[in-house]
Amino acid sequence: MFAEYIKSALASIRNNKGRSFLTMLGIIIGISAVLTVLIIGDGMKARVNSEFDTIGATTISVSLDVTKTDKFFEKEDFLKIEEVMDNIYGISPSLDAFGTAATGRDVFDMVMNGGSEAAENAAGVTMVSGRFYNKSDVEGSNKVIVISQIGAQKLFGYEDVVGKTIELTNDNMSCEFTVIGVKKNSNQDTAYASFGEDAMLIGLMPYTSMADAFNLDINNFFTGFTIYLESEKKDAVLKSARSVVENVMGLRGENAVKLSSGLGFDQTTDSILNIITSVVAIIAAISLLVGGIGVMNIMTVSVTERTREIGIRKSLGARTSSILTQFLAEAAILTFTGGIIGIILGLTISFIICRIVDFVFVVNPLLVLGVVGISTAIGLFFGIYPAKRAAALDPIDALRTE
Amino acid sequence: MKLVEIRDVSKIYNPGENEVKALNHVSISIGKGEFVAIIGQSGSGKSTLMNMLGCLDTPTSGKYFLHGQDVSHMTDDEQSDVRNREIGFIFQGFNLIPSLTALENVELPLIYRGVGKKERERLANAALNSVGLEKRKTHRPNEMSGGQQQRVAIARAIAQAPPILLADEPTGNLDTASTKEIIRIIKRLYYEGRTVIIITHDPGIAQQAKRIITISDGMIKSDIINPDYRDEI
Repeated sequence: MFAEYIKSALASIRNNKGRSFLTMLGIIIGISAVLTVLIIGDGMKARVNSEFDTIGATTISVSLDVTKTDKFFEKEDFLKIEEVMDNIYGISPSLDAFGTAATGRDVFDMVMNGGSEAAENAAGVTMVSGRFYNKSDVEGSNKVIVISQIGAQKLFGYEDVVGKTIELTNDNMSCEFTVIGVKKNSNQDTAYASFGEDAMLIGLMPYTSMADAFNLDINNFFTGFTIYLESEKKDAVLKSARSVVENVMGLRGENAVKLSSGLGFDQTTDSILNIITSVVAIIAAISLLVGGIGVMNIMTVSVTERTREIGIRKSLGARTSSILTQFLAEAAILTFTGGIIGIILGLTISFIICRIVDFVFVVNPLLVLGVVGISTAIGLFFGIYPAKRAAALDPIDALRTE
Repeated sequence: MKLVEIRDVSKIYNPGENEVKALNHVSISIGKGEFVAIIGQSGSGKSTLMNMLGCLDTPTSGKYFLHGQDVSHMTDDEQSDVRNREIGFIFQGFNLIPSLTALENVELPLIYRGVGKKERERLANAALNSVGLEKRKTHRPNEMSGGQQQRVAIARAIAQAPPILLADEPTGNLDTASTKEIIRIIKRLYYEGRTVIIITHDPGIAQQAKRIITISDGMIKSDIINPDYRDEI
């Protein structure tokens, strides 16, 4: 029986081809607009995320106010703070030095950055081979270094350099470091390495090793460090960090500890992009709403025009539900077909746009299914009012209509 | 009990000060296989009576038993089912659905009855053949003459073999030749054993029936066996 309603709905759509198409056009435009916006939004996110090739963890910077205290963080302080603090990946000081890196092949300037093993959570660290330095490297002041792909290329001419050695020189002191890992290029790596003759490489190593190799005094040096943590834990950590540091450093009540937090790149950019995408999608969805109202409008006209037909059907034994189903099926078919065409159009448009602006064209099948569902739901929602009106017609009145 | 039993039925529109008594304590019974004409001027209440007989309307007071079942107080859907099962309508304006072919129009009551596709087509084809329209099955109403359209309507009315054929001014929109043809078909259906009720204002049409009921001002004025009835096609 249901097949008959579908057939009869299709026949009625066929009989009003032009009008049905115009009605569908509203849905087509709405659906394709929403789909295009969402797909391009996804592409934009993927593109932005690939620009920042590695996304760091959320960080909190802790520093001592040098006008209020003359204390410094020492190695034991870092270990103690890390041990006491909950909900964090780890903490790392930052020791920077400038020098040169030499291999048998070439010599380059190098920015040396020393940290603890927690620095693996920093932005721009994604290993491609080998590993990042670990806790025992830091404890043992092991002379190990992590360089980027581009650094490996410059120094050795190829990327597979785990196990090779580099001679680092700082302030006339030299020391051999073993490459234990190669990481993906961060934007900084690429930028520094692009200065031609003056190209600089970046090397990451345990701060203890760096101090040891170049005879740097790290006992009266550090006035700050970075906490790496999961973004959800930020509030909790912000609350406890100050008192932990004050306790460990014996600075209670001196108001000498400063905290500042930064979101990881991921949350900031993702949330901005999500906001942009949703705002545009909402605007696009308004056109869908307008399309739905178009369906309701045309169905209402259709019911009025076919009042007599409804009367005839009722006199022949059509129940209220039969009439309701017939008109609902008609509205649903209109919007479903419009939805399918809209999806094809939306995919085409977004594919072309993604090609032009060089975004990745990713289609989430769930999104497409969702859009089909939404378009049919619109048909049913906006079809209910006219269909109910049709079904409720009194057969005598309906038959009397010319 | 007779096939149609209307007992003391009244239908009042606009109850209150301006009330109109369209039917005023009407009682009629019609047996199986009868051929009845109900004649009356416009405003006599014959349309209301026809709606009542056709289960399109319910009485304000009184009882209507159709095929032994009390149909005086039914929900819309129950009425729809009774109409589908018991009554074949033939209207003055044919009332075919313009977007459907002759065959599809005839299939409609069978669809609402839930008859399967194959059986439905068989019954609809048989009905169209019996009114001599085997060559017009795929035509739409606007491609046929008035007489042909009315024959499609008759085929639709008899397709699922209801006990009663209810014809409301069946020849009102037709020329003389088509009128003759339609009357001939209706008479033949009567001879085949169907109960036929014709509602008309035209004495010439009423004369064709075996029993003539005259209605005026919502009341039955006369109910006679037609002395001039001729048993011929």
